[in-house]
Amino acid sequence: MPAFVALNNQAHKYLKIDSSKIEAQGAHERMVPVVLSEFLKLVVHYPIVLTKNAETGRFVCMALLGFEQQENLFWQNNQWQGIYTPLNILRQPFFIGQENENTIICIDSESPCMSKTEGELLFTEQGEDTEFLRNVKTMLAELIHGETQTLIFIQTLLELKLLMPMSLDITFANQQEQRVQGLYTIDEEKLNALNSEAISALHKKNYLQPIYTMLASLGQIYALIQKKNERIANV
Amino acid sequence: MNNATRSVVIVGGGTAGWITAGRIAAQHKTNSADGIRVTLVESPNIPIIGVGEGTWPTMRNTLIKLGISETDFMRECDASFKQGAKFAKWVDGSEKDFYYHPLMLPQGFGKTNLIPYWQKYRTNKLDNKSFSDAVCFQEAVCEQGLAPKMITTPEFDSVANYAYHLNAGKFATFLQKHCCEKLGVTHILADVVSINSADNGDIASVNTAQAGTITGDLFIDCTGFSSLLLGQHLQVPFIACDDVLFIDTALAVQIPYESEDAPIASHTISTAQEAGWIWDIGLIHRRGVGHVYSSRHTSEEQALQKLREYVGPAFEKISVRKIFIQSGHRQLFWKNNCVAVGLSAGFLEPLEASALVLVELSASMIAEQLPACREVMDITAKRFNETFRYRWARIIDFLKLHYILSKRTDNAFWIDNRDPTTIPESLQELMNLWRYQSPGDHDFTSNNEVFPAASYQYVLYGMGFETDTQYSQHLMNEETTSAEQFSKNQKNIANALRSLPSNRDLLNKIREYGLQAI
Repeated sequence: MPAFVALNNQAHKYLKIDSSKIEAQGAHERMVPVVLSEFLKLVVHYPIVLTKNAETGRFVCMALLGFEQQENLFWQNNQWQGIYTPLNILRQPFFIGQENENTIICIDSESPCMSKTEGELLFTEQGEDTEFLRNVKTMLAELIHGETQTLIFIQTLLELKLLMPMSLDITFANQQEQRVQGLYTIDEEKLNALNSEAISALHKKNYLQPIYTMLASLGQIYALIQKKNERIANV
Repeated sequence: MNNATRSVVIVGGGTAGWITAGRIAAQHKTNSADGIRVTLVESPNIPIIGVGEGTWPTMRNTLIKLGISETDFMRECDASFKQGAKFAKWVDGSEKDFYYHPLMLPQGFGKTNLIPYWQKYRTNKLDNKSFSDAVCFQEAVCEQGLAPKMITTPEFDSVANYAYHLNAGKFATFLQKHCCEKLGVTHILADVVSINSADNGDIASVNTAQAGTITGDLFIDCTGFSSLLLGQHLQVPFIACDDVLFIDTALAVQIPYESEDAPIASHTISTAQEAGWIWDIGLIHRRGVGHVYSSRHTSEEQALQKLREYVGPAFEKISVRKIFIQSGHRQLFWKNNCVAVGLSAGFLEPLEASALVLVELSASMIAEQLPACREVMDITAKRFNETFRYRWARIIDFLKLHYILSKRTDNAFWIDNRDPTTIPESLQELMNLWRYQSPGDHDFTSNNEVFPAASYQYVLYGMGFETDTQYSQHLMNEETTSAEQFSKNQKNIANALRSLPSNRDLLNKIREYGLQAI
């Protein structure tokens, strides 16, 4: 169970983060939430899809990492295979928390990335942020800003009725069949049917680029199937 | 005399008036220049009756046709989910006496008839499950207080089929706003004081106290029990059916929940009493409870006492509303250029929530078959009358079925109900047939059926009816298939209980987050 505590330059002065263990935190994630500003980097590897939050039913953007529960096909040989790792993995074990309406940085005190001996210090002798922590803060800032942006982006897609459910029926090389449900993507037909005012409005908000990036990223489903076939072959 | 139907005038603005206005306006493009004009005239002085807090699953389709968001509807009308009805104490009045009429077909319906096998297992004491529990997963869902869907299930989609419980007053206001703002319906607040006839007996116009004379090509009477246009003006007689259905009075109360997180039942609970029954409907903020009874079989004091016993201590703080019920319907529903929808057409006791579904069916038929011009209107009227005479008769049969299968003897009410002279011939015939074969689609072959064969099965076998299979033993060769279906149902129960949230939880979440359209 994660235990979030507020980050503090006294209590955490000598705490180290073993950065070699960070990506392992995502070893069993089938999906990871992503933000708009990452899309162009994500498309290099990952299908970018939408799914519903199980608690609220609201849509979230996700990078798809595997097909089965707890399957991350990018985690192989104890390594994240890819040149770009989503921010929500890289920022581990740090979280954004709320304290009296202020945003604060929290750390998961149960995280295996925490160490007394190995890794990067968070604070200097003087109690200032190290470069490592400054980098973490940059990522968290991008995420917190990005979450709001992404939410508004999704809201726009919903208002224009541009989303549609996507059901994947996949047969892997060993003839194993798998149906993946609960994923959503852009409805190309509806996108193509938008009038020029609607398209122009999307363009002004800089939404055309992420929309087409999402569509293009679906091609990565084939790469993901390929990864799965390789994994099956290697078992 | 070939006037095109260009203008529809609806008199009366309860749920009947607004559902009808909305269906016609949505279908006939009232909000565009070339659409048909729809005007709803409503008295600023007459309160709506607000019957019918229970609906059928058809309401989902009605809302879709009106272009309404399910989230908006549920939030603004205090709506909750209804997954059928639980009938308690209808057979012998004991504490363990109950059965369900769920909203889903029996497992494998249409492929394998499970009834003979279910009966056989029960007789051989291999399995003691009730019929509804053995063939449908919805009873278990209701008994556990679970919702029919999840927060991730899109609007109007379901895991288990469902209808709604709603606040009828708020529903009328909600529909009014939607009809006027989105669908182009004209709303006039005025009292109709007199009616002007054309030479052929049609209604030419209505005179109002506040808004002058309103003309129209088709008039829809949604004036409630007063049946101002069809009953009073066009003199279409009322046909009572109180010789079949004895209930004639309702005592209704509203009960707040004991706490904010009190469970909300996701089904209507109907508990038999000595001379009637008590309904119990869970909305989001309160329960609607009422005792309907036959004043020929018990006194108001006694009925009130039964209601007090049912409600418990909360009863002392709440006010009781008395409503007279005249069971029956008009001899015709459509005469000349006037059609009645809602209470003006008729009313039956609230068992099985037939009031709003009849409104939906009427509105749907009027909207979809709206006569293009006066010349052909009489043909549509004839067809409408035949359809709805059939539907009312089938509903009366089905309601009566609940009473004739009871074994209660605590009051003449139940004994009189089983007197063959009070049972319609059509129902007697079916009952006779079902002694040797279970109800199937072949028994209900009209396009205008209201209750499917499955509903009859749930009530019959829920109430302990036995179908004698001694002459059909040669057909008992589906042991394996039937066993598969029974176990499939058990699997469905386990899946549903694992995945569905509590009804209260989901209703709270819908208020907070809403349901997604897809």
